[in-house]
Amino acid sequence: MALGRGTSTGTAALAAHGLSKRFRKKVALDGVDLTIPVGSVTALVGPNGAGKTTLIRVCMAFERPNAGNVEVDGVDPWKHRGEALRRVGYVPQKPAVYGGLSVEDHLAMARSLHPGFDVDYARRRLEQLAIPLDQRADTLSGGQAAQLGLAMALGTRAKVLLLDEPLANLDPLARREFIQVLLDAVRAEGSTALLSSHIVTDVEDACDRLVILGGGKIRLDCPLEEAKRTHRLTDADSQPSGATAVGSFLGRGGQKIMTLWRLAADGAAEGGDGGVAIGGVEPTSLEDVVLGYLAAGRGSAGLQLN
Amino acid sequence: MLTRIKLTLKQHRFETIAVVVLCLIAAAAALGEAYRLNSIQLPAGCVVGQRYMFAPDTSVPSTACRLATDRFYAVSNGTDMGLVRYMLLGLLPFVVGILFGAPLVAKEIEQGTAPLSWALVGSRRRWLFGKMLAATLLIVPLLLVAGLAADVLQGASSPGLDPHASFENFASRGVMVVFWGLATLFGTVALGTLLGRTLPAVILALVVCFLARGFWEIGLSRTVLPPFAVMQSENPQDPQNGQNGQMMYGQYAWTPSDLNVYYRTYLDGKPWDGDMNAWWNEHQPPMLVDPSSGLPVGVAVDTGTSPQIQGPYSVPFVIHGDRYWPIVALESGILLLGSLFCGAVALIWVDRRRPY
Repeated sequence: MALGRGTSTGTAALAAHGLSKRFRKKVALDGVDLTIPVGSVTALVGPNGAGKTTLIRVCMAFERPNAGNVEVDGVDPWKHRGEALRRVGYVPQKPAVYGGLSVEDHLAMARSLHPGFDVDYARRRLEQLAIPLDQRADTLSGGQAAQLGLAMALGTRAKVLLLDEPLANLDPLARREFIQVLLDAVRAEGSTALLSSHIVTDVEDACDRLVILGGGKIRLDCPLEEAKRTHRLTDADSQPSGATAVGSFLGRGGQKIMTLWRLAADGAAEGGDGGVAIGGVEPTSLEDVVLGYLAAGRGSAGLQLN
Repeated sequence: MLTRIKLTLKQHRFETIAVVVLCLIAAAAALGEAYRLNSIQLPAGCVVGQRYMFAPDTSVPSTACRLATDRFYAVSNGTDMGLVRYMLLGLLPFVVGILFGAPLVAKEIEQGTAPLSWALVGSRRRWLFGKMLAATLLIVPLLLVAGLAADVLQGASSPGLDPHASFENFASRGVMVVFWGLATLFGTVALGTLLGRTLPAVILALVVCFLARGFWEIGLSRTVLPPFAVMQSENPQDPQNGQNGQMMYGQYAWTPSDLNVYYRTYLDGKPWDGDMNAWWNEHQPPMLVDPSSGLPVGVAVDTGTSPQIQGPYSVPFVIHGDRYWPIVALESGILLLGSLFCGAVALIWVDRRRPY
């Protein structure tokens, strides 16, 4: 095995090397190289069809890559599925629950399927959210069902949590609650989370790392703060010195075309001590950065900020 | 494992309840019909003499016997009996197998719960094995109850015949019901796993079951059963035993409890592979023709001067009812092997397929 099986490399909780996946002629992942550091909470952002779900499914051994490989905590899930899955907690895209089973039944089922599943831990999390354990799962609200899915993932006490757009169908309050529970658990357990979403504002406050995926390729992979620091936004074609254009998109209110620029080097260093004159303003939000990359992927300025 | 079995049945609550209700209704209906037949208290002699019309004695049955027989056949050949025997008991193992087998994996894939379970379990094969075990533990005792009730019904339908020494309806009663149910269950689980959709799996399973049941006896009669079959007649070359290729049942050892396996044609007491029709055309007595009109008026009547023609005739080879258990064991074994094969296909495929 490439990386020490069962022992993390110390820096990578999840690593993909030249990972490609095709569905007939459609390329879902195209030579993805990615490293998610241990202990990080990474936002995996991209438009629909960018390959986010495929990437997570490959990590779960639900899909077999056409080329390259992926390692979860040092284990290739396709070659050693059982071992890899013991290290992963997974929350699927839709809050899938067994309609005929109660919440408590779900925990019992998880315990019967996963020998290391911590029923008490999961139960406590659900009780904190006042989710009745004897309630049938098909009568739970969308937010409660998502919390049940998260509790089942957390109950595995896995080192790596993979969350596939778990917030997509939740209302703002439920989204916030979900993120909070996730962050509390990650901080307490020191685990790593990869949170996929196409709603950037949801993950901005929760994550410390950003991966933008578009057209099956990694467009950006860096710490969140660095993403803001190394990008500039201008409302004209004026090019900040030492920067390359990323993409243009319709700005807030639809008044102006905004262009996102990427600085050649660390923007903070250049703007500060280096004294290099750079134009534009720092992106006010992560969404500006993401929109710039997504617009670049689409080759148009057809995206509009909300 | 107990928890998983319990949760599997709870998860498939509808299927579980439907299977229990169906089996109990079938068993109760079979016992009810058997009670109706038994309550007529028909003497065995009346049945054989009337039903099969091969009794060597041609005595006219008594009025009491005829009345009882009429009542017996009113029930035995009635719509209710047909419904119980062919709709409930005949279809039961297939309905039960398909009902529980099709959604076992396919429903999880359709409803999106497969990723939830498959993300938790290290081995999907173990996961599916647990589900199949739960289904097996549910349907085996239920089908056994229904099968034994069908045996009771068979005993009542054929007074004087031991249902465990008779091949009458033997594939849709007794332990055969259980093995047909198991084969259907595992076959449908395999289809559901391969297709990942419940309705297509149900439709395909219905077609497969229809074909499998339809060709089962023909297939076995040409493959594994012939070594067990014995010639129906002790003396096939005896002219009294055959007439123009048709068997007369009078002096034969054949009884309704026998299983007819195949026919063999004989000529002059030896096996013969020729064309029976061609032979008879060739050996027809000469046609008499009216000399004035030139039209045929009949065949020449044998006046006893020419030797009597005894043409080729078919002799059935049968398995007698006393070999009921070996044959049931053989057929059950084949069904069990089929079940294990289908189960293995499902277990192999579940490991490879996508959970959506």
